Amino acid sequence: MKQIIELDINDEVHELAVEPYDSLLRTLRDKAGMQGTKKGCDSGGCGCCTVLVDGKAVYSCMTMVMSVEDKKITTVEGLPSEGELDPIQQAFIDAGAVQCGYCTCGIMMATKQLLTDNPKPTEEEIRKGISGNLCRCTGYQKIVEAIQLAAASY
Amino acid sequence: MALTSVQSFYSPEDSKAVIELLDKHEDSALIVAGGTFLHGLVSRGLLSGIEALINIQKLGLNKIDISSDAINIGATTLLGQLKNCPEVKEQAWLGAIKDAMEYPPTQIMNSGTVGGSISSSCPFFDFPVSLLALDGNVQAEGSSGSRDIPLEEFFAGLFENSLGSNEFVTGVRIPVPAGSTTSAFIKMETNANDLAIINVAVCLSMSGTGDCEQARVFLGGGVGESPVRSPSAESALVGTKVDEEAIEKAGEAVLNDLDPLSDHRASAEYRKAMGKVLLKRALASAMQRLS
Ligand SMILES: Cc1cc2nc3c(=O)[nH]c(=O)nc-3n(C[C@H](O)[C@H](O)[C@H](O)COP(=O)(O)OP(=O)(O)OC[C@H]3O[C@@H](n4cnc5c(N)ncnc54)[C@H](O)[C@@H]3O)c2cc1C
Ligand code: FES
Ligand code: FES
Repeated sequence: MKQIIELDINDEVHELAVEPYDSLLRTLRDKAGMQGTKKGCDSGGCGCCTVLVDGKAVYSCMTMVMSVEDKKITTVEGLPSEGELDPIQQAFIDAGAVQCGYCTCGIMMATKQLLTDNPKPTEEEIRKGISGNLCRCTGYQKIVEAIQLAAASY
Repeated sequence: MALTSVQSFYSPEDSKAVIELLDKHEDSALIVAGGTFLHGLVSRGLLSGIEALINIQKLGLNKIDISSDAINIGATTLLGQLKNCPEVKEQAWLGAIKDAMEYPPTQIMNSGTVGGSISSSCPFFDFPVSLLALDGNVQAEGSSGSRDIPLEEFFAGLFENSLGSNEFVTGVRIPVPAGSTTSAFIKMETNANDLAIINVAVCLSMSGTGDCEQARVFLGGGVGESPVRSPSAESALVGTKVDEEAIEKAGEAVLNDLDPLSDHRASAEYRKAMGKVLLKRALASAMQRLS
């Protein structure tokens, strides 16, 4: 049975018709039409779907949309501000940390929390911070370099 | 996450309302906290016919209360909150919990709850094994009131527990041990997003003269339908100084109590061999914490 809910996504309130069992991921992609958040495994194994809920990184595929009605959701579409890319996005471009790009949005969202909590992480802390995200292309080295680059401008 | 039979999603604000909903919907109701293990249960075919989801995150149970005789951790406390709790970070006797919180990825720390970790009754999880070593109790509430269930009696097989049909977990209670107590936990995993191949938690209470008065040794992760205790390893430790020789003996003794399974993660032989190694490391790490 569909219900209408209001969801604060990237500081904009969206009115959406959702099923009581819908995940936040499904809602973002199929109902709000925001496809920056990717669906990899849909089961908590890959991290492609990572978004921030009240500033904290979560797997949107495992988050029931009805449980985040009163929270602030940030997706990759919400990273740029005033038309400028977030330093994290710029660093991923500059470091060449993207191959197929499927994991990138999720990793940037995990990075957003990492650098907000800890603006000057060590390499080990970076690797730990993105341990819930898989990348099948890069071998992670360029991603770690991108995060170090982003940290330099944070 | 295909829970397509669900018709309603409730977010009650007190436990009375939760119990009423559990009563009303009986077997078709499911408590949901962080939601991180629903997929795990759905994919094993364990959640068919669920019509009502009861979100318990508005009950105000996301708190850790510390008194002189116990630590009370509310059911919806996030794993990340537990990790950042100063007592967990600093006190040797809570070392097993501190260690267990090193493994889950950030996204799980931010949404998985303590109550969900226990209630899932999954022998492959880490936190429950650390809590077993610390002799934790589960606090449950239902229509006939509230009760404390020792964690050892709570687990009743794979994904099964001793909660009544209209009971739910409101928190866990860990008694503060007397004297000098230390604990540690170690997990062997294939990668950061995987469940344990095998894990071990130990808790040791030492006398003023450095003799081990009490030892609790638990293992999880493919060792059985619920985590298992190792009385043989415990008796190899009690009365000793938990020195190298005693640790070696405990490592041999634990094999008496291990009859693990073979699966896609590891063979039974490998789990046994690693159970011995991890136990020895966990004991050394617990002892180091004390010094
Ligand atoms: C990718 C991934 C990695 C993980 N890594 C680790 C790890 O390294 N170490 C580790 O220990 N664990 C790990 N876990 C397990 C994780 O800790 C649990 O999934 C989490 O704690 C479950 O809590 P939840 O609030 O999300 O539960 P939910 O998914 O909301 O619920 C799980 C089950 O418990 C029931 N339930 C929840 N709360 C209650 C309650 N208060 N009373 C009664 N029943 C209740 C639900 O009905 C359901 O059956 C991992 C999980 C995933 C998905
Ligand atoms: S799609 Fe959510 S973790 Fe893979
Ligand atoms: S760039 Fe292809 S998965 Fe990471």
